[in-house]
This record gives sequence, C-alpha cells and structure tokens, in this order.
Amino acid sequence: MYPQQVHDYLQKFFKENNCEIVHGNEHYMTVQLTVDMDKKIMNRPFHWQYIENTNGVPDPAQLTLITDQTKISKNMKGEVVHFGSPRLSQIFHTTRELGACVQMYERILNNMETRPILTPWLGVNYKVSYYCDRTKEMLYSLGINLMTGEVINGFQESITTKELDDQKSERAFLLPFIIKPLRALERLDAVIENLIQQEDHAWAEEAKSRWQKDQAILEHFYEEVEEKPECYEMEKKAMAEQYEAKIKIDIINGGLFYMK
Amino acid sequence: MIIERSSEWKEGFISRLENQEPWDNWTLYKMSYEAVKNNLITDFSGLQSPKYLPNLTPLAHQLEVAETVISRMNGKAILADEVGLGKTIEAGLILKEYLIRGLVKKVLILAPASLINQWVEELNYKFYIPAIAYRKNTSIDYYDVVVMSMDTAKKSPHKELIYAQNYDMIIIDEAHKLKNHKTKIYEFVQGLKKKFCLLLTATPIQNNVFELFYLISLLKPGHLGSYETFQSSFSASKHSLEHDEYLRELVNQVMVRNRREETGIEWTSRRVQTIPIEFTKEEREVYDLILELKNVSSVFSGAFSMITLQKEMCSSKEATYLTLNKMRQNCTAQEEIAFVDHIIQKLMTLEINSKAEKVYEIISQANDKVIIFTEYKASQVYLQWYLNSKGITSVPFNGQFNKSKREYMKHLFKEKFQVLIATESGGEGINLQFCHHVINYDLPWNPMKLEQRIGRVHRLGQEHDVHIYNLAIENTIEKDILDLLYVKLDVFEKVVGELDDILTTFKKTI
Repeated sequence: MYPQQVHDYLQKFFKENNCEIVHGNEHYMTVQLTVDMDKKIMNRPFHWQYIENTNGVPDPAQLTLITDQTKISKNMKGEVVHFGSPRLSQIFHTTRELGACVQMYERILNNMETRPILTPWLGVNYKVSYYCDRTKEMLYSLGINLMTGEVINGFQESITTKELDDQKSERAFLLPFIIKPLRALERLDAVIENLIQQEDHAWAEEAKSRWQKDQAILEHFYEEVEEKPECYEMEKKAMAEQYEAKIKIDIINGGLFYMK
Repeated sequence: MIIERSSEWKEGFISRLENQEPWDNWTLYKMSYEAVKNNLITDFSGLQSPKYLPNLTPLAHQLEVAETVISRMNGKAILADEVGLGKTIEAGLILKEYLIRGLVKKVLILAPASLINQWVEELNYKFYIPAIAYRKNTSIDYYDVVVMSMDTAKKSPHKELIYAQNYDMIIIDEAHKLKNHKTKIYEFVQGLKKKFCLLLTATPIQNNVFELFYLISLLKPGHLGSYETFQSSFSASKHSLEHDEYLRELVNQVMVRNRREETGIEWTSRRVQTIPIEFTKEEREVYDLILELKNVSSVFSGAFSMITLQKEMCSSKEATYLTLNKMRQNCTAQEEIAFVDHIIQKLMTLEINSKAEKVYEIISQANDKVIIFTEYKASQVYLQWYLNSKGITSVPFNGQFNKSKREYMKHLFKEKFQVLIATESGGEGINLQFCHHVINYDLPWNPMKLEQRIGRVHRLGQEHDVHIYNLAIENTIEKDILDLLYVKLDVFEKVVGELDDILTTFKKTI
C-alpha cells in the first residue's frame, strides 16, 4: 500500500466510525476519536476503567497520523503510519471486527411500477491458509441463494457493483428463506472444503519429503544410541511442527443479502 | 490433512440473526475485504517483509540471505557473514517474514549481555517487532519476543521458565560461544525445541573443525553424521582435512556466508604487515632464563604457566612481573626462590621494551589515530605510561567498562586523543570506523579474535584503507603462535570459505 492509499483508507475508516478529522491535508490528519474508538485503538483499558469507576468525564484522545513524512514540515509532531506499522495493522484488525456481519438490501428505483421482489442470499468471504514450513493464502467469496441453493463463486465482486442499503425499502417484497442461513453456512463450508480438495497439493507432498529427509538425518545421528535422549524426541516434535501440512479456514466476513 | 476452522464468525452471525446485536457497517465490510485481498500472501516463496518495512533499505546480499534461509534451508541456518555485513538485519528480515506469514509467534533471542539493548532497539524501531529485554521478574508467558543473555538463560530458574514456553523460533547471536559441547550453555541450547533456528557468527570455526561440527549438530543433529563417523572421515589429525570439497558442500547446505568483496559494495582494502622485532640482548637474557625455569622448579613445570610467562615476556616486563611474583609464593626450596629472584631482578633492570619502541615508531609514522590491542592489563597500563612519556595521548578501553564509560572513552578517542589501547574483552560491540590503524601488540591463539579486532575498524562506513600491524618477536613463542594461526586459518578457509586478510603472505607459508 502506498502512502496515498493508506491516507485514503484512514480517512474513510475514521469517517465511517464518526471520528471527526479536525485538521489535515493529503499527508497527515489530526483526528478526534470517539470514546468507542479510543477504547479500540489506544490500548489503555485501565484509563477507561478508572474514568468509568470514578464517573469521570470521558476524554477520548486526539491523534495526529502522518502518512507521508517526506511532504510535511519536520516540526510536526505525530505518529508516522505506513503499511506494516503497528498502528495500521491495528486499524485493519478493528475494521475487520466492525465489518464482520451485514444485512443489506439492493436499492429499488422509485420509478418502478410493480412491487420488486428481493431474493435472500448468504454471502461469505473465506480466507484459506496453507501451512507447512511455508505459507500461502487464497481468498474465496461464496454466495448461496437461500431459495434455490445455487452457489456462486466471486460473490463479493458481483455485489460491489450494485447499490445496496442497510434498510429495506417499504415497497420491496422479501422472499422467505427456504434454506435457513445456518444450514446454508454449513453448505458453503462443505463447498469450500470441496474446492480445497480440488486444488493442487504438491506443496504438502514436498513438505513431507523435506520432513522425511530431515528425519532420516536425525535417525542416523542417533542410530547407535540405545536409549534415545530427551532431545531426540524434542527434535522429532520440532520437525512435526515445522513441516506438518495444515490448512486453516478463516471467515473474514459475511452477511445476508437481498438481491433482485 | 489437518483442517482447522474457527467458529468465531459463526457465533457473531447467530447473535445478529437472533437480533441480539445490530448489523455492521457496509463500508467497513467492503474495506475489510479489500484489505485482506490486498495483503494476501499468494505465493509460498518470495519475501513479504520488505513491503512491510518501507523505512528500511536492506542491501542486496541481506535480502538474498533471507530468501535462501527460508526457501532452501527451511528456516534453520547458520548466518556466517563476515563481520560488519549486517547479520542482525538478515535475522530481522527472516523473523519478520515468519511473523507476517503466521508461522512464528513466540521467539527467543539469546545474545551477549552487551548487545541486548541493541537487539531490542533494532527489532522495535527497524522491524516493528515488539521485542523486550528480559529482566529478573519479567513473566515471559506474556511476551512473544524476548531478548536474553546466554548467561542468564542457562541458569535456574530462568532455564526452567524458558523450557516451559513453546518457542517457535530461536535466534542465537555470537553463536561461536557454543563451540564447546561440554558447556552448560551448549547443553541448554541442545534441550531447546528448535522449529526455526538461526545461529549468528562471523567465525564458525575458531580453532578446529570440530567446533563447526558441534555447532551444526546443535542446529541439525546428524547433518554431518555422528561424531565417530565425522572424526574418522574428516580428521586424521585435528588439522588435516581430506574430504574438503564434500564437507564444504554439506556445510553450505546449512550455512550462508557473504564476504565483503562479494557484496558489491566498495570496500576499502586491508594492508596487513607482520612486523618482526628483535629483543635487545638484555631482554633475550631474561627470556632464556624464564625458559630455564621449568628445569629449576616443579612450580613452573606446567605447560600452561610456562606459555603464559613466555607470552607475557613478549609483551612487557610489567605483565611478566605480576605472574612471576605470584608464582614465587608457591616456591618452597631456597634455591628455587633465589633463581626466581634473580630473574625478577634482571627483569626490573630492563630499560628498553623493544616492542613498545616499535609501537612508538609505527604511531609516529602513521601520524593518525591508532588502536592497540593487547592481551594484558599490565601491558595496557605500561603502554599508556610509555606513550605519554613520548608525548602521545591515549585512552584505555576494557570490557568491564559500563555502557556510558565505553561511550565516553570512544568519544575522547574520537575527539581528543590519538591512541586507544584495548584489552581483548573490550573489543566486542564497539565500532570505530573513524580510525584506520590497528596494532596487534600481542597475538591471540585464535585467529578469529584478530578478525573480530579488525572488524571494529574495517566495517561498513570505513572510508580509508585499513592498516594492520601484527607484531611478533623473533625466536620466541610468538613465532609458534604465528605458525599455528596460519594452520587454523587454513582449516577455516577450506571448510568455511575464503577470508579477508588477517595475516600477511598467508598462502605462501602453507
């Protein structure tokens, strides 16, 4: 992420969380945090515990974030934020927490004559991580039609082009679920597992052969030792942790979507 | 294959379906998806860490090391770059990569006490890795990245506390301190689980090839075979190696080493001279008397004490006197005491120190800042006095100095005084690129100590050629030391690889 992208991201993030940007330009911003945001990103739980227990006046912090140090005056005091800085990863984390589950309705144009019908979908964004002594990650965005059970891949991309509201229009008619959302989630979980199985898993085989090679070396070292010492077991355990192939499935976010 | 799932999201989703919590913000939902998509690690290989570190510009060889260790050595390696090429940066890059990829969470870093703060600072400020220095009551359960001194770690109760943790990665700086497999620290490290492990040392062999064997056996037991097979195939005697090529190849599978001249950076050159010195007639007389001691008294029959005395005699009468006088206390027979007294008397009447005079000559010719390394504190004091009598200002430098005194002495040397006189232990961790002359007043047995000394001056940031003067007195033990240094260097070059010049005309003497 370039400084400009980081800047845009922060601006949008604070705006959506009702934190006012007091002043700033394209390279820095001073932002007044809300109480909620302070609690999330300022790492001072004891301060808030104290304020609440003593009925003190809440004093959320004002934060100056510098996104491009090269373009501002040297005297400016503030925290430099860039891709990889702890502050930004904390904000990514908070974004994820605050944008986990949504319920959205496709916008209806007023000039329509008939009463539009909206079909319910469950959309879920999965991150699949492959682990051995190396890693790789894949992203799958799946959607399932809660009327028909139809599943599509690339769901997120297909809905971001549409206008969505978080409130249902009064004129819209919502079809009821036939498949319950939790059942649908199980279906998607099965689909993702199926997709994973179809992937090429040479990486796991390769990790296994690296493991076997190291294991053989270790065995050779202790070949003539009758009673294996503790560190032999330790080494074996370390190898298992290092090379054993594992797949982790994480849900980034998901929600109910009523679409035309 | 093991598949792990987390049910966290599902729980949040259920509570919203049941109207216990409001739904989230759509813009943040989209931002979150985009952020994950942008930060996705789409490939098993390649380095992610540089893009997380926009303020750090690693050198090409440092990036290459990080990539090699991760992709070819599976995260277990000896980083053996020559002194001053940035092994800490390489280790930082590798650690950062594993942290980003989620392969490592808990990390233990062992370093000499004097380098702990430097590690903590570099990791925090250069790599944004929240490392802390271990203090007595630090509860290590709560900290993921801990930097500790080896001396602390190997002792109870710290040792047990460390063993109770489940560390994913172990980094050991100045790892040549693990060359002896009979030490407590070796045993301690052997008992650690090493899923990923980096050993940092510029000098993986100091005296003999077994040191490297033990170092590698710590990292990857069996890589060089068992001790018996290693011994039978690689050493008839300690120093002659037959399967050089084969051994070198095995070593290169677990060790990366960059040399200064391979880094593509312009390095100033080293100009090494071995300067032979003749004793005066009087000095020679005392030296010979000392050699005679072992025939006179059983107190002096031990090889170690004789060697010490000979080396000290090559250094200064002050150093010799201290040892000789101490050993005199152990003599009982009258004629033994008389003989020792006779030597002491001769010693005290010596007026000329030939080596010190040579030092004065070198300093006068250099007409520039000079560092002198000596093995003996008494010689350090003497040299300071002697140079002062010749109108040359100097500061002492010892390992026992605390951090602020070190800094102050360095400052004095840089700004005011012409000469810095350091004892061996003072060498570690100071950088003196502003100086270009190094005098090795006494020679250590270990050639890597010479390399470490020179490395204080000949490192990144040095703009001038560096002059190194190795002083050795003719027809004394110093000649033997010199020969042995050549042999040890030869072992190093055969197994580990080429070295920058430490001694003169090295190749020809073999």
